Amino acid sequence: MAPPLSALYTWSFVLTLLIMLVLAATLRVLAILPSPKFRRKPFGRRPIASRVMIVLGSGGHTHEMFYLLRDLDTRKYTHRTYVVSSGDAFSAQRAAEFEKALEVREKERAKDKANADADADVDMEDVDGREDPGKEDYKKRISERRNGNQRRACTGPDHYNITTLPRARRIHQSLLTTPFTSLLTLVSTFRPLLSSTPLLPNAPPSTPYEAAAQDLPDMIITNGPATAVIVILASLVLKFFDIRGAMSKDKCKTVYVESFARVSRLSLSGKLLVRFVDRFVVQWGELEGKGGRAEFWGVLV
Amino acid sequence: MDAPSIKVCFVTTGATAPFTNLIESVLSPTSLEALKQGGYTHLLVQYGSAKYVMDKHVELASKWMKKEFGKEVLVVDGFDFNQDGLKEQFMLVQQSRGLVISHAGSGSILEALRFQIPLIVVPNTQLLDNHQEDLAIAMERSQYLLRGDIMNLAPAIQNSATFRNKMAQFPPVTSGKQRETKSFAAIMDETMGFLD
Repeated sequence: MAPPLSALYTWSFVLTLLIMLVLAATLRVLAILPSPKFRRKPFGRRPIASRVMIVLGSGGHTHEMFYLLRDLDTRKYTHRTYVVSSGDAFSAQRAAEFEKALEVREKERAKDKANADADADVDMEDVDGREDPGKEDYKKRISERRNGNQRRACTGPDHYNITTLPRARRIHQSLLTTPFTSLLTLVSTFRPLLSSTPLLPNAPPSTPYEAAAQDLPDMIITNGPATAVIVILASLVLKFFDIRGAMSKDKCKTVYVESFARVSRLSLSGKLLVRFVDRFVVQWGELEGKGGRAEFWGVLV
Repeated sequence: MDAPSIKVCFVTTGATAPFTNLIESVLSPTSLEALKQGGYTHLLVQYGSAKYVMDKHVELASKWMKKEFGKEVLVVDGFDFNQDGLKEQFMLVQQSRGLVISHAGSGSILEALRFQIPLIVVPNTQLLDNHQEDLAIAMERSQYLLRGDIMNLAPAIQNSATFRNKMAQFPPVTSGKQRETKSFAAIMDETMGFLD
């Protein structure tokens, strides 16, 4: 007869179990941490849609972030999720303004393109006024080449969302309670990470753009507010358990850009994150190689 | 003949902690003298919460100018701060081929430099964690701006006339120059493995 299950309740058993768990967890952490040097993926066909999460912070960080993003291509990064801390109306407003500007820019580009196309049509008629069976074909081919290779610009309210997280630490908040509020921030980070708000609740995504918007972000970009540390930590938790393929599908790639104001020393967020992000980018030569991996490509803002 | 042209010097002290020493320094006789020599006609100061300091020194400056030149050679004006940013003021300076004197906050540095106008940055030496000074030194080394001394702004004001012609473009063009540079858009694409 097998011994009762309770025979297992011994100290040595509990201890062994614990050691094995710690060992497994350590191995897993080592496996999910980024390699010391960023290795770029071989260039492949890019997906139609992707989602990028942008962590904003107080005044200075937000300013710099939008300078960094000035050439953002909405054809590639089709859904943007902006993360702001509660009470930071300024950053939320800046995000909305930035998106509005993207929309205006795309409209003007479309207008210019339409004018150029109209000109081209006129040219073709000038060249050959007679009825020519090949002309229609030619025109069609031209317009296919123009439109076929071009992906759609994704601007407007359907293509971004702004999500608010509770503050990890309010100004003058006691250090004693900070761990608890930070934990609250961490927990509330998962929902916006897992999906941006669906347009219609309970409706499955009908386009690749919607599917990307309702999946994990492909990339997380931040430049150092306190919230960033927590968002990166949350993304590591997702990778640890490979939730929704965070690890296996190579989602949530993290990019940290140290503030332009940091010339010779890393910020606290920078020091904390230097080993945990996929890419750690600094903006002054003196900081290159900090933490064994800081990249320097010139001033970016 | 052209209409009597104006030349504006705009001073910004930041929106948060008032940088009263900068107001005092820019309204001191040596600075006013240097501005007059440089052909400036207007001095515009964004003074934040330091209205009292501003009023006091404007009065002193006005007295000094009357005594020294017989009239107010510089029109001095000020405002507390503008919620919509300082774009208007920077454009005024740009059009009048003037000068900006700023506190060393990275926000105003980044904004001012985009107008391609000479910029003098004055680090606040009273701040404890002084990475402002580091930034100003590094930016000066790259020829983006001039660094001003709070104790005596006159040399920087004098230098700004010739600096206009040799200042480096900002944001820097992302190619060539000593080593490989990249734009942030390129870094994003590379991270994602996007080629085109």
